[in-house]
Amino acid sequence: MTFKNLYIEHERSSEAEDWVKEEIAEQEARFAEIEASMEALAPTREKWYQEFFDRIKTNGFNLDGDDKMPIPDADLPIKTADRKDQVVWKYGVDSDDTPRNGQEA
Amino acid sequence: MARPHIEPFCDRDTHFKPMRLLGFGTGMHYKMLSMDVDTGACSMTVQFDGGYKRSPGFSWSEYELIVIEGELKVGDRVCRKGHYFYVPAGYAMPEISSDQGCLLLYMYNTGEPSHEEATTHHASTQTQLYHDVDSYMDLSWAMGNVAKPSVATGCMIKLLNYNPNSFAMTFLYCMTPNFYQDNISYHDCAEESYHLWGTSWMMQFGDVPTGGYFWRPAYINHGAFASEYGCIALGRVDSKLFNHFHYNPWSTPVENADRSEARLLARDPLLYHWAFSQDHNHPHSPKDFELTMPRRANEEGHDTEHKSDGHRHDHWHGHHHHDEESPHTHDHSHDHSHDHDHQH
Repeated sequence: MTFKNLYIEHERSSEAEDWVKEEIAEQEARFAEIEASMEALAPTREKWYQEFFDRIKTNGFNLDGDDKMPIPDADLPIKTADRKDQVVWKYGVDSDDTPRNGQEA
Repeated sequence: MARPHIEPFCDRDTHFKPMRLLGFGTGMHYKMLSMDVDTGACSMTVQFDGGYKRSPGFSWSEYELIVIEGELKVGDRVCRKGHYFYVPAGYAMPEISSDQGCLLLYMYNTGEPSHEEATTHHASTQTQLYHDVDSYMDLSWAMGNVAKPSVATGCMIKLLNYNPNSFAMTFLYCMTPNFYQDNISYHDCAEESYHLWGTSWMMQFGDVPTGGYFWRPAYINHGAFASEYGCIALGRVDSKLFNHFHYNPWSTPVENADRSEARLLARDPLLYHWAFSQDHNHPHSPKDFELTMPRRANEEGHDTEHKSDGHRHDHWHGHHHHDEESPHTHDHSHDHSHDHDHQH
């Protein structure tokens, strides 16, 4: 079985074209609001990260389902000075300027 | 560019807007949740006013739909909350109406919303793909371990739609009260969720309440997870769901994608080397021979004499040849009784 006709080609009306453009513009504004609110949440999130580290050191990290493994303190990651606490990435890997393995940015 | 990362978002924080696209009539209102900037594909919370009616017709895009609250009439059938529909592109639905009004989640997957009045399906429609189900009453909760490694006990699913080519899924999921899962996850696919009821929490984004929504591109960290009082949500992934768990909250999407690649090498080394070796590095995408191989039905003027197993009348190419001279013409009675002597 294939899903070949998920979309049937047709000419989009100018009315639909305008509607899509308008919605995309509103989505841009919505995204900006979300990005700002997530930046504002950073101090709270820092606390949540530390609580998470405490739990996975003691109760354990969920490896698979309910299988848990305590993570030694020495294995916990460190946030380096150049690393930002970013949780919203507009287009995922396409909006991430982190160098890929072995490549320059 | 597809859809941007919309997370977290709650539709309760915005107002309904009247739908003004032609074909939808009056009395339909929507809140946009996310939209693909290339195709216009989108997910919307939709409200039909009491007395709303839409003529029979089809959409150029496939779409999915679930009733959140109220009653939706599809033809003469009354569909209540939890009723889910998968509607292929070009599939003509009967009249849709709501006597008292209802709240719906609409997901147009491959193009902007459209409604063409019609009482018959478009010629290109894959009508066999249509299905609908009362997901609250007629499906049972199953363990959430559809992917390995899996979610913790207490997260369960009801599978609503599955694409056997891409492994994309639509499903209801729930978290029991006091559910928690202490890991950070990312996937090789985009993920979407709408909270039908209840609140869950994720370490990056905080609480996602009733009406809470996200569209999250691939490789973005989310979790740890918790739900104090439980929740029920509709979730979707646009290709195969694989849970990459870890505990570094500061890894980036590129680092996560690199890790996925490294894990692919560890898991499927032969496939990895085939895909990435110089000699087989296809600039556009690897070819699936099933999509391009010559097929019998594509041949013009195919002759039945040489394609069957010695009989003039063959059935494999999907239609019948009636040859008056043939001993295998259908103008005879089919009395195929077989005597089998089974000895065990």
